[in-house]
Amino acid sequence: MAYTITEKCNGCDACARVCPADAITGEKKKLHIISAARCIECGACGRICPHASVLNATGALCEMIKRSEWLKPVLIVKSCTACGICVDACPVGCLAMSDLPRKKGVDPYPWLQNAKACISCSFCSQDCPADALVMRKTANL
Amino acid sequence: MPKPYMGKILMVDLTSGTITEEAIADGVYEQYLSGMGLGAYVLYNRIPAGADPMGPDNILGFCSGLLTGSGSLFSGRWTLTGKSPLTGCWGDANCGGTFSPAIKRCGYDAIFFSGISDTPVYLYIKNGAAELRDATDLWGQDAIATEELLEARHGLKAGIAVIGPAGEKLSLIAGVCTDKGRIAARSGLGAVMGSKKLKAVVLDGVRRIAAADPAAMKRLSRHCNKWVGFDLPLTPGSVFARVGSFLRVTPVLFPQDGLLYTNILKKWGTGGMNQASIEMGDAPLKNWEGTNRDFPITKSRKINPDLILETEIVKYHCYSCPLGCGGTCTAKGMPGHTHKPEYESILALGGLCMNEDLDSIYYLNELLNRAGMDTISAGATAAFAIECYEKGLLTKEDTGALELKWGDTEATVALIKKMINREGIGDVLADGTKVAAAKIGRGAEAFTVHAGGQEPAMHDGRNDPGFNVHYSLEPTPGRHTLGAHLYYEMFQLWKRVKGLPKPKPLYTKSSKYKIDSDKAAMAAACSRFMSLANGAGMCMFGLFLGAKRIPTFDWLNAATGWTLSPEDYMTIGERIQTLKQAFNIKHGIKPKDNFISARAQGTVPQREGANKGRSVDVEKLARDYWELFGWDPATGKPKEETLRKLGIS
Repeated sequence: MAYTITEKCNGCDACARVCPADAITGEKKKLHIISAARCIECGACGRICPHASVLNATGALCEMIKRSEWLKPVLIVKSCTACGICVDACPVGCLAMSDLPRKKGVDPYPWLQNAKACISCSFCSQDCPADALVMRKTANL
Repeated sequence: MPKPYMGKILMVDLTSGTITEEAIADGVYEQYLSGMGLGAYVLYNRIPAGADPMGPDNILGFCSGLLTGSGSLFSGRWTLTGKSPLTGCWGDANCGGTFSPAIKRCGYDAIFFSGISDTPVYLYIKNGAAELRDATDLWGQDAIATEELLEARHGLKAGIAVIGPAGEKLSLIAGVCTDKGRIAARSGLGAVMGSKKLKAVVLDGVRRIAAADPAAMKRLSRHCNKWVGFDLPLTPGSVFARVGSFLRVTPVLFPQDGLLYTNILKKWGTGGMNQASIEMGDAPLKNWEGTNRDFPITKSRKINPDLILETEIVKYHCYSCPLGCGGTCTAKGMPGHTHKPEYESILALGGLCMNEDLDSIYYLNELLNRAGMDTISAGATAAFAIECYEKGLLTKEDTGALELKWGDTEATVALIKKMINREGIGDVLADGTKVAAAKIGRGAEAFTVHAGGQEPAMHDGRNDPGFNVHYSLEPTPGRHTLGAHLYYEMFQLWKRVKGLPKPKPLYTKSSKYKIDSDKAAMAAACSRFMSLANGAGMCMFGLFLGAKRIPTFDWLNAATGWTLSPEDYMTIGERIQTLKQAFNIKHGIKPKDNFISARAQGTVPQREGANKGRSVDVEKLARDYWELFGWDPATGKPKEETLRKLGIS
């Protein structure tokens, strides 16, 4: 299953610019399409579309959210095992393992090194085997 | 039902520059998993018999594990596969880091390269678009510099595997490097990549990796994490030497619980056992001729694990590893950071050459990582050269005025630099001990220690006879991460797999050397299990937790939706192992030629030290081991009926 774009699309190209999988194509001011083979269902297109033209994988209409209000991952330090699954799961590379250990202990920790690039897909949080990342409105990872 | 494998491989023909995608049927994964199993499946069928390992017919495969990315832990390892130019046999090398998920995120389970390019190239995949790009400007750069240049070009998110100058110069002990200091070093497959003029593989994909039952995967991972976090009280590292001394003298032993080892790995990394290994006779010294008396505690305390810990800035975790045995360190005289040297590197560049200078070990480790050369084989070849010099087979004229002496740090460093650059004597030594001995002649072969051409790792089979069995009998000779007496105890497979022997709660040390049916059964179980683990992309250190604590079989079922029993999974391991052996037979290998050198077998036993009087009759054990796999007990060739039973054609 993949996200789809409806006829309402006016070709503003915002979705194509935010898509981390290069899955959206279309000329400016013309209907855009999502490649089902490439779509990773991160939902960024749905969150950014100002014309309510994106349907999610189940066919429900996505609601636009102001980018500054997109949820971002926050680390629960005591649960983190530094396995790096979150960093790898991030499709835009905005998470990174730290070069230095945490204040207590010797392990590194994931941090939002490029908070602006975060597309709020929550893959990091979903994939964390220790439930150490939660999606919140503030970004202070 | 979602599956953790991608169902596709990428075939790259470097001669014509064509790149083709191929679908792989579900049945193949059910028979061979992914990783090493998929590599063996593809290479067995497609590399023609007798192919030149450095020629266009050899195929080099980068294979990710079946469980990689599925939500399991300790499953971030990838396997490099090909016909080994070092041994002429099936070749594989295993590496952690972050490259295994990078392969899958591009939508493939494995990427294979055949043919030879005219000019240096690298493969670049970005979101499903694969292309070969010119690498003329990268050729000649060291491995870490190449990675940095490619990161600057393609971003930090890309997974990058490269060869260094050693691979370019076709050194038969070259490997393939990732993550600025991790290396798939064994079997000389870096030389294969060099022969294909393939400098790097850059993978930048974002595909999701699925699992049939994500909730079950998470539950199982929580169970495993609980055991990883189980902290045992540990003594300071300096006390380990005394523990090693005790293990040397005690006549009785008890089965070891791997939880102790995972705790040691968590705190110190693989180097935690440095001194203990030397004391107990596990670490070979002075080119396998020395004993703990040659390298007493007064010397070995200079490579004490606590000293290594002092240099560590932060732990390094491979993908999906909650343990973190790696580390980023600072070291004297070196700019920037360096990866913490592993046990194998410390002992090969240290004890085996009688070198007690820890700073030089850090330096050589970094040098070899940059060159993309195997530290085990490089250290072993340096030790061989020192002995040749001592015995008069090499002279000052041969070595370019280098005086090679045991424990001479400067000479050892200079020698290894020559090997990397293939200068003078270095050119003779850059292909490992077997090739070097043939070039030197005059009986130099007597001072080599290898199995089928590959230098074994720093675990002495005279101390743990299981190592000699696996060094000698594995389709990839000389590998140490496939089985041993100690590993069998720590895997605790008998708790999950029916019919496997359970070690006695207390046994005499000498009983380890008695060849009986249990020994072959234990070795065969290790081989099956590790073949399975390499297909799944699992890390052996995680498996040390014990079969009940690390749910390998359950993860496989939850990730794939299969309902196989542990015994069924062991059969998959058996199939992978048999296919690798069949690969060797197809290429004219006589398995008996791969037995480890007489020196390491203890054919003339040592007169002092931990392994005094110890020897292992590999020949005798081979018969039982081969028989258990359904291979001809006299020759090691898989029987027709065995191949039929396992569905290998």
